[in-house]
Amino acid sequence: MNYDALIEYISSTPLIWLLVTMGSFKIGIIIYEKFNKHTLLQPIIISYILIMSILVLSGASYEEYFKGVEIIHFFLGPATVALALPLYNNLKHIKTLFLPIVITLIVAGVFSILIAVLFLWALDAQLPTILSMTTKSITAPIAVITSEQIGAIPSLAVGFVLIAGIIGALLGTAIFKIMRIKHDTSKGFALGVVSHGIGTARAIEISQKAGAFSALAMGLTGILTAVFLPLVIQFLR
Amino acid sequence: MLKGIITLLFFQFIGECIAKLFDLLVPGPVIGMVLLLIFLIIRKASFPSLDNAVSIHLKYLPMLFIPAAMGIVTQIDIISKEFWAITASLVLGTIIALAFCAKLMDYLTIKQESKK
Repeated sequence: MNYDALIEYISSTPLIWLLVTMGSFKIGIIIYEKFNKHTLLQPIIISYILIMSILVLSGASYEEYFKGVEIIHFFLGPATVALALPLYNNLKHIKTLFLPIVITLIVAGVFSILIAVLFLWALDAQLPTILSMTTKSITAPIAVITSEQIGAIPSLAVGFVLIAGIIGALLGTAIFKIMRIKHDTSKGFALGVVSHGIGTARAIEISQKAGAFSALAMGLTGILTAVFLPLVIQFLR
Repeated sequence: MLKGIITLLFFQFIGECIAKLFDLLVPGPVIGMVLLLIFLIIRKASFPSLDNAVSIHLKYLPMLFIPAAMGIVTQIDIISKEFWAITASLVLGTIIALAFCAKLMDYLTIKQESKK
């Protein structure tokens, strides 16, 4: 038996990293569902840890890993286009509260970026970190392609997106109680603007209406940020 | 489902082409997303093949950004140096933004209702 040839094959085929990535994500889904879909046990967090351990143990570089799984990365493009459908399905809700939605979207969208940047700036963070923070409230696929566009670090950006989502989903209900928020539509909308998909999953648990408004807010915030953020950043440079 | 997948790829392709042709800073797939949205509004309905293609993409959406996300192993330096700034920005920034956004939306909604 030719063990050398086998080892040579395993260490050079992209199949191994595809299997590791998809397998880890499947394990992530299984664990997530076993624990009643707890926010902290997002499938991606579990697969993050699994893949990270395997990467470190195998001694492979990130470049090697990325080359192997580039085909998965490619599908972020069509997945972003796919986000048009849930947005379309919830678009009818815009009419009922047109002005509140438009005003909140613009004012709160800008505010949530500014407040995050302000904290970083006050605590002496560097420019790449600040740029990577600007996309923290939009859905991850759009955050990845937008952060590439503005010269931020996509991996940091995704990390920030995930944590902003988890914090919103974990603390949202408590915050709404303290702030005495009356309407489910406001709760859902805020979760969508600030905590994208993970917030929307939480909003669906509040009520169907909150879920619809969250999905609506997530789609609109994603588009507006991707359109205007690169322009603003180019203007400031 | 093939028709749906072709639809998604086609709109992405057109979006990327428009971005290149007009030197736009907006990412091509986002232009594709807006075009598909406009297409659906004009057509007034989706079709089953597109529904299936979309649902399979969105079901495994988090898996699609793992390749980009794993780049975090190359950023340990920044994270350890700026840990507290990042933590403050994420935790406090998210809490304040969430409170502000919900309150603003609630205020505007109540105002609109009282007008009627």
